[in-house]
Amino acid sequence: MAEKKKIKKEKEPDITFYHPDLLEVPEKGLPYLKGYKCKKCGQLDFPKLSPCPTCWGEKFDVVPLSRKGILYSFSDLYIGQPGLETPYICGYIDLPEDIRIFAMLKGDVDTFKCDEEVELTTGPIRKNADGLEIISYMFQKA
Amino acid sequence: MKLQRDVYIAGVGETVFGKHKMDYDELGRLAAFQAIKSSNIDKPGLIESAYVGNAHNGIVTGQTIFKDIGICGKAPIINVESACSAGAMAVHLAIKDVACGLTELSMGVGAENHTLRRKSGTAFMPAMNDIEAVHGGVMTGKYAMRATRYMHETGATIEDLALITQKNRRHATHNPHASFKGDYSIDEIINSRMIAYPLTLHQCCGVVDGAGAVVVCSEEMIRKLKIEKPVKVRGSVVTSGPYHNKPRDITGDDITEMTSSMLYEESGIGPEEVDILELHDAFTIAELLYYECMQLCRKGEGLQFLRDGQATYGGKCVVSPRGGMLSYGHPIGASGAAQVAANVKQLRGECNGYQVEPIPQVAMSHVTGGGLSGTEHAACTMHMLTSDW
Ligand SMILES: [Zn+2]
Repeated sequence: MAEKKKIKKEKEPDITFYHPDLLEVPEKGLPYLKGYKCKKCGQLDFPKLSPCPTCWGEKFDVVPLSRKGILYSFSDLYIGQPGLETPYICGYIDLPEDIRIFAMLKGDVDTFKCDEEVELTTGPIRKNADGLEIISYMFQKA
Repeated sequence: MKLQRDVYIAGVGETVFGKHKMDYDELGRLAAFQAIKSSNIDKPGLIESAYVGNAHNGIVTGQTIFKDIGICGKAPIINVESACSAGAMAVHLAIKDVACGLTELSMGVGAENHTLRRKSGTAFMPAMNDIEAVHGGVMTGKYAMRATRYMHETGATIEDLALITQKNRRHATHNPHASFKGDYSIDEIINSRMIAYPLTLHQCCGVVDGAGAVVVCSEEMIRKLKIEKPVKVRGSVVTSGPYHNKPRDITGDDITEMTSSMLYEESGIGPEEVDILELHDAFTIAELLYYECMQLCRKGEGLQFLRDGQATYGGKCVVSPRGGMLSYGHPIGASGAAQVAANVKQLRGECNGYQVEPIPQVAMSHVTGGGLSGTEHAACTMHMLTSDW
């Protein structure tokens, strides 16, 4: 039995950051989302889609996306996903690059409005399999 | 799908929708056997293929349903999954078999038991490999955002949304298959527990169990079975949701607009000719938006259409005559097949206590499926049926 235990592989730790392809958090300066511009047809996408769904191009330029956008719609959720503390708030944010982002909103219920300006921030979106917070992009009132 | 030859519905079945101790397979069998009996089929050999919609109950669900009634070993049974659209897709595939001449008689079934398995107090969500799901996305939230935006743009209120629940549950008052029915006051609806602002508990479909089943066949088989009231399939359309990450108008629904247009074209029947409609009223806001998406009224006039009584008895189109998902609840793999079953019964004048009068001759059904990031819905299935006797 003891021997069997020894060969048992160490469990790899679960992720605590979501996801380096999507979000850059520089040591100095502000975090930003990464858009992917297809080198063949010019389409800009978030998240990264490879190949490009329009032309099947496989080469992309990484483009930092605007940090501010307009809150198109939102909802204060009182019954949520299993394992997530409620209430929490979700919304669609439209960026000037003509891209819509779905994200959690940082702030209080009953305070958001359609068409108000919001800005990128980061925060915990859920707990991982080890019970640690997973950090990702969120938006808050600008 | 252009139907290559005429396809008819011979018989249908549906269980009571509600919290059941019976698992999905028993429910599915009940509905299937009802459909078989009402099709005057008296032995197993006639069924040449069967499709079974289910979302959450595991593997080989169709074979599990059919093995006890002597159909396993005699026909291919294929399991279909596309979240809420699964049951309607199963019916579509049965129609396709007959339309293509592959079979003379086929079945589509939808069956689901949620309550034996699911933890209550949590919301349905897309799969965790979906970027929106990772960020807390749930179906209630998706519809709630549509409602928030609709209210922002049109000035509609929660009280307006509540009218949908009130209407549909009134329609269901005497429907023995529905589980939430009768008179609900607007106050009661809007003051029920908040689920996802602005959607309160009574504006959301209940989590229940149930099954629906449909037997489809060729014209020759309708004669052989001596079906007195054959229902003709005028159109059956399945689509997948357009995908992109650009801003889109969520007070519309691109996939429903596309699918209904295709159905109108395929069937040669326009929106103004549809007498009754079962649609995906999983949440109040959905029904309101879909009036516009399906061109029952012009864009921006959905609320007026509702307020003017155009979606109830005596109106242009009786929407959710069985009570819709807001009254039945929504066992997601089952609902699409149960909608078709309910429409057939309306066309045949068999809905004692909740029959639409005069008896409708054109019935449409609509069910979307699945939250998938970058789409409004992953799938949409619609059917157009007419009485043909
Ligand atoms: Zn491209």
